[in-house]
Amino acid sequence: MEHLPSAEAKMKKNRCFTCFDCPNCFHTLSVRATTRSLDDSQPKTSSKHYYLACFFCRWTTRDVGIPDQVAATGNWPVKENPHQELLTSFLDHYKIVAMRERSEKEKKPFVLRRGYTSYTEKFGLTNMIARKRAGLPSLPLAGKDINPANLPAITPCVASETVEPLSDTFFTEPPDLTKITTISQRHANPMLQAVSTSGLHPQHRHFYIKRSLRCRSCEHNVSKPEYNPGSIKFKIQLAAYYHMPEIRVMTFEPLMAGRSCEIILKLTNPTLHLTSLQFSPPAKNNKGGSVEVVSGDPPKKSIDVPQPVVVEGVNSKIELPICPVVLPPRDDAAEYDDTGDTHNFQDDPKIVVWRKGNKAAVKFIITPDDGLQPGTDVIFSFALEYGYVNTMQTVEVKQPQRAEMQVNVFIAPGKILGAIEE
Amino acid sequence: MATSSHGKDVRISQGAVVCMDCKLEGPITVGPRTVIHPKACITAEGGPIIIGENNIFEEQCVIKHKLDGETKGRPQTLNIGSNNVFEVGCIVLSKAIGDNNIFEAKSFVGPDVEVGHGCIIGAGVSLQLPEKLPDNVIVTGSQYNRTIAADRPPPQTLQLDFLTKVLPNYHHLRRPKDRPNVL
Repeated sequence: MEHLPSAEAKMKKNRCFTCFDCPNCFHTLSVRATTRSLDDSQPKTSSKHYYLACFFCRWTTRDVGIPDQVAATGNWPVKENPHQELLTSFLDHYKIVAMRERSEKEKKPFVLRRGYTSYTEKFGLTNMIARKRAGLPSLPLAGKDINPANLPAITPCVASETVEPLSDTFFTEPPDLTKITTISQRHANPMLQAVSTSGLHPQHRHFYIKRSLRCRSCEHNVSKPEYNPGSIKFKIQLAAYYHMPEIRVMTFEPLMAGRSCEIILKLTNPTLHLTSLQFSPPAKNNKGGSVEVVSGDPPKKSIDVPQPVVVEGVNSKIELPICPVVLPPRDDAAEYDDTGDTHNFQDDPKIVVWRKGNKAAVKFIITPDDGLQPGTDVIFSFALEYGYVNTMQTVEVKQPQRAEMQVNVFIAPGKILGAIEE
Repeated sequence: MATSSHGKDVRISQGAVVCMDCKLEGPITVGPRTVIHPKACITAEGGPIIIGENNIFEEQCVIKHKLDGETKGRPQTLNIGSNNVFEVGCIVLSKAIGDNNIFEAKSFVGPDVEVGHGCIIGAGVSLQLPEKLPDNVIVTGSQYNRTIAADRPPPQTLQLDFLTKVLPNYHHLRRPKDRPNVL
């Protein structure tokens, strides 16, 4: 991971100049060292030699005959693109063509204005603008000639009729799959596209970048595409994650159609204010609240996927705890406090099975509907009411506001295992 | 000795480090300088298991030698070669294991797989079909990609030295029995 401004990253072709990818399985290669005596006659003069190895698939640079390096940072040989010269000549050619077209475009609007030269001294027109007005190329091109005759010559690619014939044994011998590269291995290095595994060559690692993410309604930038890993925070800290009680599935009994089973949900209060949770049957027309979907696996699906999740039909009945559950505020220091809880909550042990800090595990009883086929996803839902303290200061209201919020929660803990045998 | 379930037919050679807390069942011979971590499980149901030198059996690994249907209950010996590493949580039911193999964490090798020499079974790889693994094969990844390495993985000498030094500090060991070397 490196701190890089985007311009520099672009200059390095978006690749890290110190790290390499395994050409076999695309993991990052690690440097390994071996001590080896230089000469058998002088066993004492040993030196360290370094090679790159993949700890995952055990591929090493020794496999493909890349010589070991004396320095750990290595000047690792990088295989040059065999068509490099041709490509650069194309690039140079088209750069100049593009510049010429651009300068011609800029020329047109000024055709009508003539006789500007008399003003140049009066108004002190800069050299730059004068050149532009005159239809001359701006400075970057100043040294180069854009005469069409002086374009760098390019040789067009020619399709050849003759293709190297396959070897005689190609159809008769079974292929040795361990020696032939896979499609993805070839595509990972498009300029070389080695056919056999002995031609694989490590490549510089691509930079990772954060994905740009905008708010769906207000179009603010929530997460900017940056190379800098130091700023991993969201630009706007208004994600529901910081304000809503978090619900996670802890454990549940095997799900059988028509049989009630216990499910234990872990509720976490992420805010700095005490809150009280109540459970009720899901509200039908709940327009104020948003819909949060917590699926059993993976648990944070709703954050990874920005698409709104389509909620399918609920197919289970649920027995909700009647009494409210109080969650104390989040306390970062409490994580390291082993002395036990100082809070004295009068919890019904039948409902709250476990409690620590701002977390509590609450027991629910769900009954998947009769006649559900094994393998169908079980979905149940309830409405979660929680007290929320709005600390955002506005012009009118300076005091924190308390509000009762209600959201519908849909949970798909898993699939039906089987029907009960009767 | 509550958890020790090894009978009289477990023979431990000099220099081997076998923790008390592992499960050894049936006639098992442990070769010199072999390290068996606590919570490893080696069961010899279908005949004796003979373990060679310099092997490492890590925690929660399961080596099972089951009765084979073909041999009609006649005991067959399972020979485990030298310099093998059985990493955490691997399950090996193989009938033959050579030298210098590495069974990475959570790998599974079925009973009809013959493991040669220098094979590396990657983490999470499950081999269930009958086959004979060629030497120096490396099976890795979710697609079980196979490659053939140029040479065998190097023996874990440093790790073995470290384990033989450190394990006795924190675990009770099974002592090798003083008895003449006769089978």
